[in-house]
Amino acid sequence: MKRHLPVMILCTALVAGLAAPLATGASAPGFYMEVLFGGLAAGVLYSLVALGFVLIFKASGVFNFAQGSMVLFAALSVARMAEVMPLWLAAMLGVGVMVLLAILIERLVLRPLVNQEGVVLLMATLGVSYFLDGFGQSVWGSDIYEINLGLPKAPVMILGNLFKGGILINKDDVAAAVVALLLVTALALFFQKTATGRALRAVADDHQAAQSIGIPLNRIWVIVWSVAGIVAVVAGMVWGSKLGVQFSISQVALKALPVVILGGFTSIPGAILGGLIIGVGEKMAEIFLGPLMVRTFDLAGGGIENWFAYVLALLFLLVRPEGLFGERIIDRV
Amino acid sequence: MTPHGRAFGEPVLAVDNISLAFGGVKALSDVSFHVREREILAIIGPNGAGKSSMLNVINGVYRPQKGTIRFFGEAHHNIDTHEAAAQGIARTFQNLALFKGMNVLDNIMTGRNLRMKAGLLAQAMRFGPAEREELEHRAAVERIIDFLEIQAYRKTPVGRLPYGLQKRVDLGRALAMEPRLLLLDEPMAGMNVEEKQDMCRFILDVNDEFGTTIVLIEHDMGVVMDLSDRVIVLDYGRKIGDGTPDEVRGTQAVIDAYLGVKH
Amino acid sequence: MAQADTGGGSADTFPRLLLRHARTQGRRTAMREKDLGIWQSWTWSQVANEVRAAACGLAANGFRRGMNLAIIGDNRPRLYWSFAAAQCLGGVPVPVYQDAVADEMLFVLENAGVEYAIVEDQEQVDKLLEILPRYPRLKRIFYDDPRGMRHYTQPQLGAYDALRQAGREFDRADPGFFERCVEEGRAGDTCVILYTSGTTSKPKGVCHSHASFIAAARGDVAFDGFGPADEVLSYLPMAWVGDHLFSYAQALVAGFTVNCPESSETAMNDLREIGPTYYFAPPRIFENLLTTVMIRMEDASRIKRGLFHYFMDVARRCGMQIMDGKPVPFADRVRYLLGDLLVYGPLRNVLGMSRLRVAYTGGAAIGPDLHRFYRSIGINLKQLYGQTETAVYVCKQPNGEARLDTVGRPLPGVDIKITGAGEIWVKTPGLLKEYYKSPDAMAESISPDGYFMTGDAGFFDSHGHLKVIDRARDVGKLNDETLFAPQFLENKLKFFPYIKEAVCFGDRRDMVCALLNIDMQAVGNWAERRGLAYAGYVDLAGKPDVYALLQECVEAVNADLAQEAHLAGSQVRRFLVLHKELDADDDELTRTRKVRRVFIAQKYESMVSALYGGQDRCIVETEVKFEDGRSGKIRADVQIRDARTYPAAGARVA
Repeated sequence: MKRHLPVMILCTALVAGLAAPLATGASAPGFYMEVLFGGLAAGVLYSLVALGFVLIFKASGVFNFAQGSMVLFAALSVARMAEVMPLWLAAMLGVGVMVLLAILIERLVLRPLVNQEGVVLLMATLGVSYFLDGFGQSVWGSDIYEINLGLPKAPVMILGNLFKGGILINKDDVAAAVVALLLVTALALFFQKTATGRALRAVADDHQAAQSIGIPLNRIWVIVWSVAGIVAVVAGMVWGSKLGVQFSISQVALKALPVVILGGFTSIPGAILGGLIIGVGEKMAEIFLGPLMVRTFDLAGGGIENWFAYVLALLFLLVRPEGLFGERIIDRV
Repeated sequence: MTPHGRAFGEPVLAVDNISLAFGGVKALSDVSFHVREREILAIIGPNGAGKSSMLNVINGVYRPQKGTIRFFGEAHHNIDTHEAAAQGIARTFQNLALFKGMNVLDNIMTGRNLRMKAGLLAQAMRFGPAEREELEHRAAVERIIDFLEIQAYRKTPVGRLPYGLQKRVDLGRALAMEPRLLLLDEPMAGMNVEEKQDMCRFILDVNDEFGTTIVLIEHDMGVVMDLSDRVIVLDYGRKIGDGTPDEVRGTQAVIDAYLGVKH
Repeated sequence: MAQADTGGGSADTFPRLLLRHARTQGRRTAMREKDLGIWQSWTWSQVANEVRAAACGLAANGFRRGMNLAIIGDNRPRLYWSFAAAQCLGGVPVPVYQDAVADEMLFVLENAGVEYAIVEDQEQVDKLLEILPRYPRLKRIFYDDPRGMRHYTQPQLGAYDALRQAGREFDRADPGFFERCVEEGRAGDTCVILYTSGTTSKPKGVCHSHASFIAAARGDVAFDGFGPADEVLSYLPMAWVGDHLFSYAQALVAGFTVNCPESSETAMNDLREIGPTYYFAPPRIFENLLTTVMIRMEDASRIKRGLFHYFMDVARRCGMQIMDGKPVPFADRVRYLLGDLLVYGPLRNVLGMSRLRVAYTGGAAIGPDLHRFYRSIGINLKQLYGQTETAVYVCKQPNGEARLDTVGRPLPGVDIKITGAGEIWVKTPGLLKEYYKSPDAMAESISPDGYFMTGDAGFFDSHGHLKVIDRARDVGKLNDETLFAPQFLENKLKFFPYIKEAVCFGDRRDMVCALLNIDMQAVGNWAERRGLAYAGYVDLAGKPDVYALLQECVEAVNADLAQEAHLAGSQVRRFLVLHKELDADDDELTRTRKVRRVFIAQKYESMVSALYGGQDRCIVETEVKFEDGRSGKIRADVQIRDARTYPAAGARVA
């Protein structure tokens, strides 16, 4: 019971922090809602990247440092191919590229390193990450490319009758959220309802036992990395259409790390919720907390968006290392 | 318990001159034996005698440096664990290796994995034949649940079950493979008297109802004598006895090995 | 309900009732059973068909009018059909408790002169085969579940499937046979022999006629308005009169659906899936359910527990009044509504009682707090009173009049008289026909003017409700003439989830002392939460912390007793915690889990004398039987504690 207390305090503080600007009248409700939606939109993007982390970690226990690079690589592939073919075809080919990549990673990295320490595998994915960044730029180029999903960029105004001036939201943000929702639903169904999903969970639980009932480990790894690759394609396209396809994607994608710490390394809902919390949290902090701190402590200001997520993750590591939804291993006496 | 004069079929498994070493340490040297269809064979021996290594060689976890293993007459060389499973060799584990995050039903369902033919895409879309296949497998799993009397725990995460029941689920998962050869690694380890009796009954029933050939490792001599048709004894990686429980009990080498007499 | 008879002979026997349902509502579901994870169902006409096959099969195997058929096993449809099959032929079904050991079975089989048995599975077959050398009269044993039976070669054995097959052939050869047999049945024939649990002596076979049992069932059905739409879950022993009345007699009279669980362990899950509308269970089951809920609540999050306790307070304050349609302040009504949404509704759902219209408990006294708990969360739990000999047709609580400490009003047609000694005597339409082959027993329990002497002590309260305190012979007096009602005290103690059994002594002694049994599940959980390590039952039962816990319970009971002037003197002065669980296999409890006080007093003599001798510990050695039939000894050093007592409240007032 006692261990829940710090988490509850933390969550309460979080909620209070989020609601404070509104409650104290520091912000007009309309503006506040806009910031909130902006944060949610950014959060969806974090969630999509975090999802890939979680999938691979769940099924193979490998902490895939290269997830961000996979997103970049997928986005680059789709963007450049879309220049010479319809976007849908480019997306399909992008999926093919990621599956191929999954097969190569399994053959060249995972299989030779089977039964090695987790840290060795982490280093290996770090290698994969740098390789993908470099290789992607050599093959596809290092400019900023565009992915046009054909969605109207123009913001729409909603709830105009509720708040003065209404709330402006971007249609493509809404589309991104819908895509993320569909993807998560599909993944959940895949994991819970299909025989292959069951096999994936089995491997995640116990390699040796899974093999002994005839589940081929290598095939499972290819499937998991392929699924993570497909998630990367989706994430890459959504990111790319919003921010343009550029090298910084792989850096921003590192935000997925605090997200999974918050949500729990093995939880798909955790990845989603964690992403949203971080997204909203850092936007709120930037807009409302930042100026406050500048005024109070006479700081140079700005930049809170860059470290807020990590501080939050650090707090969580202190009070609840398994994250919001992570599995706590209970040893039976 | 052993029905003497029971007819056993053809050899299912023939182990010939198997030697296995880890670095300089010999785990098994020149071990040979065979298991006939419908037989329950027990492997006994003091700790470190190479019993678990023997099971691990049979289901492809370890690859022996010397010797051959034939399964239904076919040489079974350098195979992987999952290939052994595909050939019909199932096993349970001494230290439970259940999928802790899953419930009982899903754990046993994973045992049907090899028999699922529907493609990934068909499964994902719950396409007609895939759906039908899933239902057929579910029915097979339900028969096992009924057989092992664990109906009350279908949806219980296995981690929350008491130890004895987890062992039963482990057996259920192996049975779901409809194995031709079932390897049981200390199926009664850590159980109380009552749980042991239940497990004994299930093992005998499996052998009786499904005609499954069983190789088991066990420490409890009472259990071994009750269950097995034949016993082989390992000591320091060598086979020192082979026969019916009564024959083995009387062998001097076996008595020495168990009493720790140096020879 | 009698108007439903469709002419052509009245349905005055159970077989005729069955055939009438097959005719009038043949396509409605009569029975369900969960098998291989799926609910299988049978319509009334299918059931009639199955019964016909089984009856003809029995006839083909030589079973004749006047013979007795033993039925042993868990609640399986085929076993229920076997009751009807025997009755169709003019035979008498004799259900035997499925957890009875071989010797107990032998007694019943011998007493009833059974030659035919239909049993559930290998386990029961093994027991009968064990008895066979001592009881060679047993001619045929049919088993429902063929698992593990392949290598059995005894000539007596046959599968139920084969019986049914033989029946179909027999039926084809003589198509009128079945109808002729049913036609020969008379309402006055014996329809079932139910053996009493024998708290004090060997069991007695209570013979009921179709007439008495149908009359009782009709009365019950009319009282609560049961009909074909009702559903019950049958999971109590078939040999218990309660189950026979509820899953067989009432089902055949009202035509409702009987559901059989997958196994005895899954009953709780199955209950939730079926959501019965009518439910009958001894208090022990309601107690276990509550214990499970409480344990789950202890493990729940702080917020949930807070909500639970808040709304349980609301329910305690006004739940009963709302159920009984009494006026309640508006604010409380709103709170209760909210509580229903957040707590009571989900709770009823967890208990499998969402659709429940009526629930009854009987067979033993239910603690008032326990009763209040269920009623206050919107479960219409009522008490009834009756015995095997009266087909449980004596008293019931009408809707809206469920008092916590009574068993309700006499049912229509029942005449009750309280003797000078305070014993309850009953005349009822459900009165037994006779004790099987035991005219003496009949004379001992039926008064010359035709009353059944229940042996219970009780009285009518000012509302005309019967109040049962205890067994008449158990109610005793302390040396200072204070009233001592042991069962009453034990039930009060047992209401605490931590106390599984309690045995109180005090008759012709100076004070009341108690032996307690911890509830392993509840106390084990409690210990785990507190990080208290223990090695097993004996160790846990002896922990000083556990003693302290139970001491609180005992003292709470004492405080409560002090409120009632005539019971204040019987507060528990000293107690100890037993090192082993009281067990029916060791003859310490009856099969229906009533404590055998006299037997326990003898068996634990050393403890009892230590309690009264003022010692603070005693060393005991007890013989126990393990499940495999072997026996062994448990030795333990048991502590004894003094409990605080309170001055009688009445003393000051008066």
